[in-house]
Amino acid sequence: MKWLRTTALTAALAFGSVTTAATADEIKIGLLQDFTAVYTFLTGEYNQGQQDYLTLINEEGGIDGNTFTAIVRDTGNQPQRGIEAYNRAKEEGAVLFDFLSTPVSAAILDQADADKRVVITPVHGRGDASDGTVFPYIFPMMATYWAQAANLIEFMKTNEGGLEGKKIAIVHIDSPFGKEPLPILDALAAQEKFEYKAFPYASPGNEQSAAWSEVRRYQPDFVMIWGAGGGQAVSVKTAIQNGIKPEQIHSVIWLAETDAANVGPMMKGVKRFEATASGLDHPIIQRIQEKVITPGKGAGDAKNVGTSYYNLGVATMAVSVEAARLGLEGGGPLDGDKLKAGFEKIAGYDAEGLMPAITITAEDHQGGGAGRVSEWDGEKWAPVSDWHAAYPELIRKTIEDSAAKYKEGH
Amino acid sequence: MAYFFELLINGALTGLMYALVALGFVLIYKSAGVPNLAQGAVVMTAGYAVWLFMSMGLPVWLAIPAAMVVMFLFGLVVERLLLRRMVGQPIIMVVMLTLGLDILLRGLVPGILGSAPKSIDLGINFAPVIIGDVFINRTSLIGGVIAILLVGASLLFFRTRLGTKLRAVSDDHISSWAVGISVERAIGISWGLAGIAAVVAGALWGSAQGVDWTLSTLLFPAIAVVILGGIDSIPGVLVGGLLVGILGSVVPGYLDSYVGGSTRDVVTSVIILLTIMVRPFGIFGREDIERI
Amino acid sequence: MFYRLSGVYQTNYAADRKLWKIPADRWQVIAVLVLALMAPLYVSPLYLGSYVLPWVIWSAAALSLTLLMGMAGQLHFGFAAVMAIGAYSSIHLVRAGIPFEIALILSGVVSAVIGTLFGGAALRVKGLYLVMATLAMQYLVDWVVVNVPWISGGAHATLRTPAVNFLVMPIDSLAARYWLALGWAVLITLFFLNVKRTSFGRALVAIRDKDFAAAVIGVDPFRTKLAAFFTSSFLGGVTGAILAFCYYRAVTPEQFGFNVSIQLVAMVLVGGLGSVIGSYLGAGFVLLAPIFLTNAISSLAAAGWVPVSQNFLSHLPLIIYGAMIIGFLLFEPLGLAKIYDNIRKYFLVWPFRHAKS
Repeated sequence: MKWLRTTALTAALAFGSVTTAATADEIKIGLLQDFTAVYTFLTGEYNQGQQDYLTLINEEGGIDGNTFTAIVRDTGNQPQRGIEAYNRAKEEGAVLFDFLSTPVSAAILDQADADKRVVITPVHGRGDASDGTVFPYIFPMMATYWAQAANLIEFMKTNEGGLEGKKIAIVHIDSPFGKEPLPILDALAAQEKFEYKAFPYASPGNEQSAAWSEVRRYQPDFVMIWGAGGGQAVSVKTAIQNGIKPEQIHSVIWLAETDAANVGPMMKGVKRFEATASGLDHPIIQRIQEKVITPGKGAGDAKNVGTSYYNLGVATMAVSVEAARLGLEGGGPLDGDKLKAGFEKIAGYDAEGLMPAITITAEDHQGGGAGRVSEWDGEKWAPVSDWHAAYPELIRKTIEDSAAKYKEGH
Repeated sequence: MAYFFELLINGALTGLMYALVALGFVLIYKSAGVPNLAQGAVVMTAGYAVWLFMSMGLPVWLAIPAAMVVMFLFGLVVERLLLRRMVGQPIIMVVMLTLGLDILLRGLVPGILGSAPKSIDLGINFAPVIIGDVFINRTSLIGGVIAILLVGASLLFFRTRLGTKLRAVSDDHISSWAVGISVERAIGISWGLAGIAAVVAGALWGSAQGVDWTLSTLLFPAIAVVILGGIDSIPGVLVGGLLVGILGSVVPGYLDSYVGGSTRDVVTSVIILLTIMVRPFGIFGREDIERI
Repeated sequence: MFYRLSGVYQTNYAADRKLWKIPADRWQVIAVLVLALMAPLYVSPLYLGSYVLPWVIWSAAALSLTLLMGMAGQLHFGFAAVMAIGAYSSIHLVRAGIPFEIALILSGVVSAVIGTLFGGAALRVKGLYLVMATLAMQYLVDWVVVNVPWISGGAHATLRTPAVNFLVMPIDSLAARYWLALGWAVLITLFFLNVKRTSFGRALVAIRDKDFAAAVIGVDPFRTKLAAFFTSSFLGGVTGAILAFCYYRAVTPEQFGFNVSIQLVAMVLVGGLGSVIGSYLGAGFVLLAPIFLTNAISSLAAAGWVPVSQNFLSHLPLIIYGAMIIGFLLFEPLGLAKIYDNIRKYFLVWPFRHAKS
């Protein structure tokens, strides 16, 4: 009967061992992300940061004795695999989820609300999920794409002393994500009296010469690039080849050290939005270096520590752990409702200076939407503005309008 | 008018860069009759190989030949282990096998070597070549010239003794056997040559956009190129590349900002569809006559 | 053992025309059907919602596709686009106030009409060129869905399915959604089995084997090919609508991308071209193998058995999955259906060795 035992073992492995109900001293977090398809440019570093931060908290004794366990699975950006991974992690007792994928998140939003599980969608995902009255368990918790666009525009305005009569070109990938900032630009163009034009390029963006030839003739004062992955480096290169100065280029959050290495020395002066600081010079990152990386407990290559996406991952987990701490104040064990309440109690938390201070309320799950602009100085991303939220009323109104439409079923 | 010429020239050069990807596809199809839908992933693998050798400290002029050797052997191995066993199977089985290979490579290569984008610095200057008000992308210019040279070299190669054998094999497997040509070896060599062509494509595209799995998406424009030029024609790769590149640049250049979306993939799709409906074997392809 | 036969020997035509010629097969089908119907009672929501339900729906999709690829021999690499048309039109129709039952049928009709246009290419070319043509159409449909906000649902390109009733059953609970999907899969299965026995089915097979030869014996290739595309796209469109309403409940363009088309073709091929049981097995394999592999490898890694980096670990299922597809094509080109058939034949005459059927 040896084959029977082998089969049983294989089956047990394949189905995974399901342990129901989280124990009081172990908080499970589902990091069910896309490691193999569209989001690979960031998932590795981002997830590594998340895991390392959780290891750090556990090394430091957890939160009142509660430790954190990350359930890490690849979904390949496929919704059916995401749904399976979500349901399984739910059975295993996970209370918090991060999918880092638009189609997977879209397929799970309603389910998570019904199950009362918290889903975080930091700096990506639907902007209108920031409306806590419509999406009670979804927490964007950092600047949404709308807030990012507004922040970049305000930065241009401050530096230029008014945008009246200026021309802005937005060069974006032709996908729902690429078109996301356009409504905000419409509103701001009317308010600040600038002119803008959108130039789409085909996904995934490995060739954009036609779009940029047109941009050059538009003679913009500023250029915004809105893409992700390898396409971003192509955008910057093609822009520079078309005589656009690096200083004129302003990017969405997805521009990082790897892109700078790809573009080379010409990258100097390019600006991007950032929701968290990069580099090693922060108390939390220092502690991770000391207590996680040096003893060899890191989740990946030590070289990645301190990169933009790594620090972003650290910050997402820092906020989540803070929410868990606040949620546990009334006693454990932690469940979705307590965690949600914990998130909504976060006030002025800045992860020891790694990110802008955020305050999440029952209405505002974005946490204010603050961020800043940083510039590539040839070595690293150096901040060129202070943490602040741009046009908060406009962003809030856009969020509420869109959330209201969603509520109606659109 | 300068705008039109700029779109035209950059489009043509981009099209020639697509032709580099398409060349490998045609080399294999011509001799083996296998449509290698994994050619995009092979280009990605080649890009990773070039990056690997450069990150080991080799200069460009050594890294590329080294990658060529590796990819030639890789082509031989793939043919020997996988495709040779598929001889005589229906086309759909062969297509699916190459798609399985595509999945395998897209897991294996980024899995081992890392999935974040890698950069290849070929030392090509960034500044555009400026003629009047026309800005020409230098990487594409160099890539285009290399594509023409490589296609020319392939044409010359087919006039050598080995090349003549390959042509014989592409004409008729059974007759080639009858006159003592090793069909297996010829097909193996054409896979190896496709690997070499992939190195050139992978290095140039990798330097333009960085090396990661998205290199394998170059397959789609490359398919348009081979369908238009003729699936078994080497000069067809050049002509098809030029047309796909030019149309894919000029049409979006005038339409995109009105449509609000990039029309390049639409143009590519329409080229494939129109070619298939009007002249399925392409401009230079050989028309197969089917007998009952 | 359970067949208790020495071979299949019909003595009249009626017996030979039966769907299930052997009593044991009939009992097996009934047993599986009863088990499937009762699944919500004994399968945990985790396995029902994320394994059985998608498996049933994708099996229906694979059956729709194998009608075209297996029976009629027309290759189709854009079937996800056909399903997308069904999914999007069903949602828009229900929102326009049309009852769900009628919307399902209408969405099938919309898919069938557009899908028949795909078939237009089949009149001109076949084989590899048909693959390329349908591939191009997949890209065209994707582009239209993404770029027409009216279809895709505005800023976030996500459409939620409205709450609906099927006849009297509200399609809300997991069990209800599962039963609707199961009902549709059973319906397609019966349709498929019966089509094989009609003149239309035999015409499809004739076209598959050689369209010129079929024309000689009086089968009109023009009409038959278009009818094949029409039927298959109708079924695919309704399956797309079922997928949207019973499984995803929120539709985004990425759910119907090119890679989904490839998955569908893989289901049909790994299962075995033109086979009913193969469609179920193939859909199960292609859909669930990556999930099982991911879980198995994570369990092994948690036990410390796979000392590799997180990056390689997450790519490992993809590698094994690709290798398994290659392995199937190399070692069993007739697919899982053939493996099932071999096992069945072995037991058919067990304890004797050789079956005659």
